[in-house]
Amino acid sequence: MKTQRSADKTSGISLAVLGVVVIVASYGITSPIADRLPPHTLPVVLGWTTLATGILLALRAWRSRSEGVVIEWPNREGLIRVVVNLVGLAVFIALITPLGMPLATWVYVTFSIWYLDRRIIRAVIIGFLSGATVFYVFVRFLELSFPLGPLQR
Amino acid sequence: MLFSWEFLFNGFGIALSPENLLYALIGCFVGTLVGVLPGIGPSSAIAILIPLTTILPETPAIIMMAAIYYGAMYGGSTTAIVVNIPGEASSVPTALDGYEMAKQGRAGAALGISAISSFAAGTLSLVGLTFFAPVLANFALAFGPPEYFALMFMGLSLVISLSGRALLKGIIGMAIGLLVSIVGQHPLTGAARLTFGWSEMLAGVNFISVIIGLFAIGEVLVNVEKNIKLIYDKKLKGIFPTWADIRRCLGAMGRSSAVGFFMGLLPGCAPAVTTFVAYDLEKRVSKHPEKFGKGAIEGVAAPEGANNATSSGGFVPLFAFGLPTGPALAVLLGGLMMYGLQPGPLLFQTKPNFVWAVIASMYIGNVMCLVLNLPLVGLWARIAVIPFPVLGPLIILFSVIGAYSIRFLLFDVWVALLFGIVGYLMRKLKFPMAPLVLASVLAQMLEASLSQSLLISQGSIAIFFTRPISLFFMILAFASIARGIWMTIKTSGPEQAEEETD
Repeated sequence: MKTQRSADKTSGISLAVLGVVVIVASYGITSPIADRLPPHTLPVVLGWTTLATGILLALRAWRSRSEGVVIEWPNREGLIRVVVNLVGLAVFIALITPLGMPLATWVYVTFSIWYLDRRIIRAVIIGFLSGATVFYVFVRFLELSFPLGPLQR
Repeated sequence: MLFSWEFLFNGFGIALSPENLLYALIGCFVGTLVGVLPGIGPSSAIAILIPLTTILPETPAIIMMAAIYYGAMYGGSTTAIVVNIPGEASSVPTALDGYEMAKQGRAGAALGISAISSFAAGTLSLVGLTFFAPVLANFALAFGPPEYFALMFMGLSLVISLSGRALLKGIIGMAIGLLVSIVGQHPLTGAARLTFGWSEMLAGVNFISVIIGLFAIGEVLVNVEKNIKLIYDKKLKGIFPTWADIRRCLGAMGRSSAVGFFMGLLPGCAPAVTTFVAYDLEKRVSKHPEKFGKGAIEGVAAPEGANNATSSGGFVPLFAFGLPTGPALAVLLGGLMMYGLQPGPLLFQTKPNFVWAVIASMYIGNVMCLVLNLPLVGLWARIAVIPFPVLGPLIILFSVIGAYSIRFLLFDVWVALLFGIVGYLMRKLKFPMAPLVLASVLAQMLEASLSQSLLISQGSIAIFFTRPISLFFMILAFASIARGIWMTIKTSGPEQAEEETD
């Protein structure tokens, strides 16, 4: 997927596969109530639309004589940064329930800033202030129902 | 509901009392704050404050709640412009050009024009609310399911222009947006659709999570990949918009006021729809449509104006019939009923001082919001100079808070993460994102109104072409589609469409 042409071919085929999955899943939708517009109609139409437009995109790319622009995929370091940040975010979300939003915020912000900036003291201070802001502004002042983990006690 | 200058002057007399001025100011401040914070919207803010307002008499309480509502419209554009996080769907069109302006060092000008346009459109639509409420309320009542479907269909046709030259990719984005929004229980029959046996998905995918993922998380991933140290590499130029900027936007302010106000009269027609319509209209009438999406200041003025005009327009059916046009107004209706006030024509006869005081306070509140927001422009614009290694994780944090606060479900945060990856890939593969967002916003109402219309017509689609209002919107929609296709064929061959996307 180095050029727009190859990327369009790949994304077209992926979309066509998605369309097929949606069509198959849509025909299994059943409704206990009769309706002029049964619940499976729109998913079926959209599944076929996704399939058709995906095929069209891939075909158009296949028939194109130009390779199109070169896509700026990340280099190795860039890819590692993206993956580490995504994993960091996933861990943050997973920690929200056991640690609570304020503590999970502290951990996540501290780690992310340290990873991108490599200044540990700044990272810890901003992480702590972020966690405290979440606790005092969103939980205490605005009374949003965030999980609090150990702070619940 | 009859207009009388005497009632209006009496209303101003009450609204200008020190106590009411204070509560209007508090409402404007809280509204601006909740608009800026992605974690909380006007509906939640009003709902949280309802119990606190029980110690107040009805007039200052409702003045404050109304001020929170329209104040939030002022603050909502801030994160969209400065860091490309549209906390609400209505801010997505603002982000298209506002963030581009910010990247050019003109975040202050974008924020300033957003506040000025919000003020101008908010005030113009208040004039409409003051003088024409009875007639306009009847117009809103003429809308049945076929008219709503035709209107939503017209809204969907905007995908053509939002796609720029990447029409096929725009249509794919639209299909994905519609698919995402139909996941979960069917609203009329309760049938589970595309949940793949996963119970969490029965609640459906909230489009705010989708927006947060596509725009905020996707944008952060792109910057992280490039190891960006400063989100804008250009210095801040002129904190405030110039007179030339304001003059350029006068037309946009007027047009967006009209679009926002009239569409705001319709229940269910949220600012999320009207801002897209106003943006599209502005792009069509502009002499330089090619500049839209690249930092056109009119592209900020139009959606922001429409946003505020819609919020004022929504008060017409609320006061005249007790019909809330959106979630925030529904909560406000709850506030009115808590005080034993039943909105409708009788309210104007039995409580004229109250109604006109609230309307008068909205004129005053709009001035307050402008005065509150303009000095803050410099402050918000300076967010841009925070180093990205600090700003990036904070954007992600607010995205997580924003996604979680919608329904307090972790599922919504995972959806935001998933769409963050989708947004990253869409940027790389040059798929336009606005069609996906627009489709996900319109989907539910589109399907519900289609279903109800077919029930009325016993399955005949002729119903959309035999009623004057729906016929009008259908003609507009088909004209828009035909024009878009013709322009695509005329201005670019398939090769160009592949290479140039918005």
